[in-house]
Amino acid sequence: MENSEVLALEAVGMYKAFPGVQALDNVDLRLRHGEIQALIGENGAGKSTLIKIITGLYKQDQGILRLDGREVEFSNTHEAMKAGISFVPQERNLIPAFTVGENIVMGRTPTKGVFVDYAAVNREAQRWLDVMGLDIAPTTVVKNLSAAQMQLVEIAKALSMENKVLLLDEPTASITPHEAEFLFEVLRGLKKRGVAILFVSHKLEEVYELCDRVTVLRDGRNACTDEPLATMDRDRLVSLMIGRTQKVTELPAKPIERDEPILEVRGLRAKSGTNGVDFKLYRGEILGLYGLVGAGRSELARALVGASKIIGGEVIIQGKPAKIHSVSDALNRHGIGYVSEDRKVEGLILPHSVAANISITIWRRIGGPFGWIWSRKEKGLVKEYVDKLDIKTPSLMQLVKNLSGGNQQKVSLAKWLAAQARILIIDEPTVGIDIKTKYALHDLIWNLAKQGQAILLISSDMPEMIRLADRILVMKNHQIVGEIQNNHNYEQISAAIMQKLM
Amino acid sequence: MTKTSLLRTLVNIEWAGLLGVVILAVVIMAFASPAFLSTYNQYVLMRDVAITLLVALSQLVVLAIGQMNLSLGMIGGLVVVITGGLMEVWHVPVPLSVLIGVIVGTACGLLNGFIIVRSGINSFIVTIATSSVFLGINYGMTEAVPFYNLTPEFKAFGQARWGSFPPILIVTIIVTILIAIFFARTIPGRQILAVGGNLLASQTSGVPVGRTVMMAHAISGAIAAVAGILLMARLGQAQPTIGQNWLLPSFAAPIIGGVALSGGSVTIMGTVLAALLIAIIQDALVLLNADPYYVQFLLGVLILAAVGFDRLAKRQREA
Repeated sequence: MENSEVLALEAVGMYKAFPGVQALDNVDLRLRHGEIQALIGENGAGKSTLIKIITGLYKQDQGILRLDGREVEFSNTHEAMKAGISFVPQERNLIPAFTVGENIVMGRTPTKGVFVDYAAVNREAQRWLDVMGLDIAPTTVVKNLSAAQMQLVEIAKALSMENKVLLLDEPTASITPHEAEFLFEVLRGLKKRGVAILFVSHKLEEVYELCDRVTVLRDGRNACTDEPLATMDRDRLVSLMIGRTQKVTELPAKPIERDEPILEVRGLRAKSGTNGVDFKLYRGEILGLYGLVGAGRSELARALVGASKIIGGEVIIQGKPAKIHSVSDALNRHGIGYVSEDRKVEGLILPHSVAANISITIWRRIGGPFGWIWSRKEKGLVKEYVDKLDIKTPSLMQLVKNLSGGNQQKVSLAKWLAAQARILIIDEPTVGIDIKTKYALHDLIWNLAKQGQAILLISSDMPEMIRLADRILVMKNHQIVGEIQNNHNYEQISAAIMQKLM
Repeated sequence: MTKTSLLRTLVNIEWAGLLGVVILAVVIMAFASPAFLSTYNQYVLMRDVAITLLVALSQLVVLAIGQMNLSLGMIGGLVVVITGGLMEVWHVPVPLSVLIGVIVGTACGLLNGFIIVRSGINSFIVTIATSSVFLGINYGMTEAVPFYNLTPEFKAFGQARWGSFPPILIVTIIVTILIAIFFARTIPGRQILAVGGNLLASQTSGVPVGRTVMMAHAISGAIAAVAGILLMARLGQAQPTIGQNWLLPSFAAPIIGGVALSGGSVTIMGTVLAALLIAIIQDALVLLNADPYYVQFLLGVLILAAVGFDRLAKRQREA
C-alpha cells in the first residue's frame, strides 16, 4: 500500500441499504489513470448500486468517494458528470431521431444567438469521432446506426465531456465479438491517453483480453479488490464470483431423431430480407444459427414465426408444406414458438403476473364458452411449468418486472413450453444474465432437446453456441454461408466459424 | 420508517387511499350540509353516478389498450337522437329502439377501431376526427332540435325513484360487473390488457392485436350508447347535445381511480370510487350554493392531485 499514490477515483467503505436488502456492505473500489479496471459479479452482487452512487444517482448510507484524492459528494448525475465522471449505461440513451452530432453535444449544444449552430455541432462531434477512429458522419441520424455503432457513439458522447474517468456498464452486451474487438481498440487508445476506465462485464474472455486489474463483488461485498489480472486464473475468478468453485462441465451427447426432419426450409425468402435459406431441423436437435449483428438471423426467425411475410421458397413441417401467414398461424397451426432476444420489449408483459405471462399462449386452448378462463385450470397449468423450469417467484401472481433477469427469461421460455410448441426458436437466451443462471439456462435448453424438443438457437455468444449446439449454421447477408458439425472444441470450432464469416 | 411503510401499504392497495377520500368527503358533507344525507339527495347522487360511471367505463376499456376515445360523447349523442327518433317518429317499441341504439354505438366504436388498426393512425387523431363526424350526422339529422315525445314507460323508468335508489343505476351496476368479469376472467378481456401491457410481446405470443384493438373500441362505443340512452331516459327527452360534456369526466374517473394511461392495467373499483367522488363534489357544490362552474376547476385540480400522488407513490416504490 503506497499512501502517496493519487487515485483517479476511489470509493472507500461504501454502505447502501434498501428495504430488506443490504445492497452494499463495506465495498471498496480503486481506479487509476491509464488503467482499465474490471468490475465483475453476478446479478444482484451490487455492481449497479455502486455505479449509481459513483454517478450521483443514489446517495450512500456511509462511505467516502474521492476523485483525484479530493473527497466529493454528488446529489445528482449532472454534478458527477461535471466533476469528471462519464458513464455509458447499458441501455441506450441516444435520441433516435437526432443526428450523431446533436447527440454527442447534447446538453452543451453550441448556439448562434437563439439558433443551434449546426456547423459547430458537427465540428465538435467530428473531433470526438476522430479520436475514436469512427467512420460515421456526424450528420447521420442515430436510428439508422447499428447497435454497435450506437454503443460507440455513446462512448464518443461520454468522451466529449473530456472526463478522465469513464464507466462502462456491459458495453458488449448487444454487439458481436468482431465489433467488440474494435471497441477494445478504442478503449486501449483512451487508456494510453490517461483515462481511468471501469469495465463492467459478464464475459470473462473480454475481461482477460482487455483489463489490467479486477474487483469482484459478491452479495454486496468485495470478494476481491483491485487485484492484477495477470496473476488470477479463470477458475479462481469464477469461484470468487459465485462463492464456490464451478466446473463448467461439458454437456453429454444426446440422441437426435434423424429419420425425418420436423422442420425443413427450402430456398426461403422473406420480406424481412431473408434471401434463399435452406436447412433441416430434427427432433431432439439444437441447431445453432451464428452470425454478426445484421447477418439476418432474427429476420429469418421472424419469417418462420409469421411476423414477416414469406415471399418465396418452402417451409415443410413434418413432411407437409406449411403456410405461415401470421404469428397466430405459426403457433396454433404449426407449433412454432419464438423466445425473443429482447425479453423486455418483445417477450414479456412486465407489469403483468407470472401466471398471465405464461398462460397468454394457451388462453385459446383452455378457454371455455364465451372465452371464459377457469382460474384453477390456468393456475394448474402455469404451476406445472414454473416447477419444471424452477422459476424462483414468491407466487404465481408476482409481477414479472419484480423477477431477476434469469427468472424472467425462464418465464419467457415457459410460455412456449406451455403452448406445447414443437419447434422452439430461442434468440440470444442469456444476454445480460449472470454466469450461474446462464449455465442453469444452458442445462434447461439442453434438457428440453434431450426430451425431443427441436430447437433453433440464435446466439452471438460464441462459447454458448459451441457448448450447446449440435450443428452450427453460419449466416451472413441473410444467407447461410456454412454448416459446421459441432464437436464442442472451442478453438477448432470458433476458428471454423470465423473462417466462414471472412 | 413507519411513515414510509404506512404510505407503502396504502399505495399497494390501489384504491384504499381513494376509499379514504370518499369516506372523508361524505363525513365532511354530512356535517356541512344537513340535506346531504337526505333520501332525495342520495337519490340525486346515485343518479349522477349511474351516468358518470358508464362514461368512465367507456373510456377505461380503451385506456386498457393504451389508446383513447375522444369521440365517446358524440357517440352517446348520436345514439340518443337515433333511439329517440325511432321512438317518437316511427313508434318503434322501446326494447328494439334501445337495441338498435346500442348496435349503432357499437358500430361507431368499431369504426374508430377499424380506422386506427387499418391506417395505423394514432387513436387521438382518429377519434377527434370521428367525433366531429358523429356530431355532424347528429346535427344534420335533427337540426339540433330534441325529440320530446318519448315512449312514456321509457321516461317513467328513467325518472323512477325507489326511496333513495334510482332504477337506472341497476343498468350501470350490471354493466360494471360484466366489465369487471370481462377483464378478470375472459380471453378477450385478458387479450386487451396484454396488448395494452406490451403490444409487441402480445403479437409474438399469437394475440390477434388488430382484432383486440377493434374489440376494445367497439365495447367502448356500446357502453357510451348505454350511457346516452340512460341519460335520455332520465331527462325524458332526446337532447342532441347529450354527451358534449362527457370528455373530462371520462378521463377524470379512470385516472383518479388509478388506471394507467399507458394501458395494460385497469382498476374497476378505483374507477367506481372516483366516479362516486366526482358526483359527491358536484353535489356538494350545489348544496353549498357554490357556483356550479367550479366543478370544472375542482375536477382539474383532482386529476392533477391524483396523477401527482401516483408519481409520488412510484418514487416511493423505487427508492
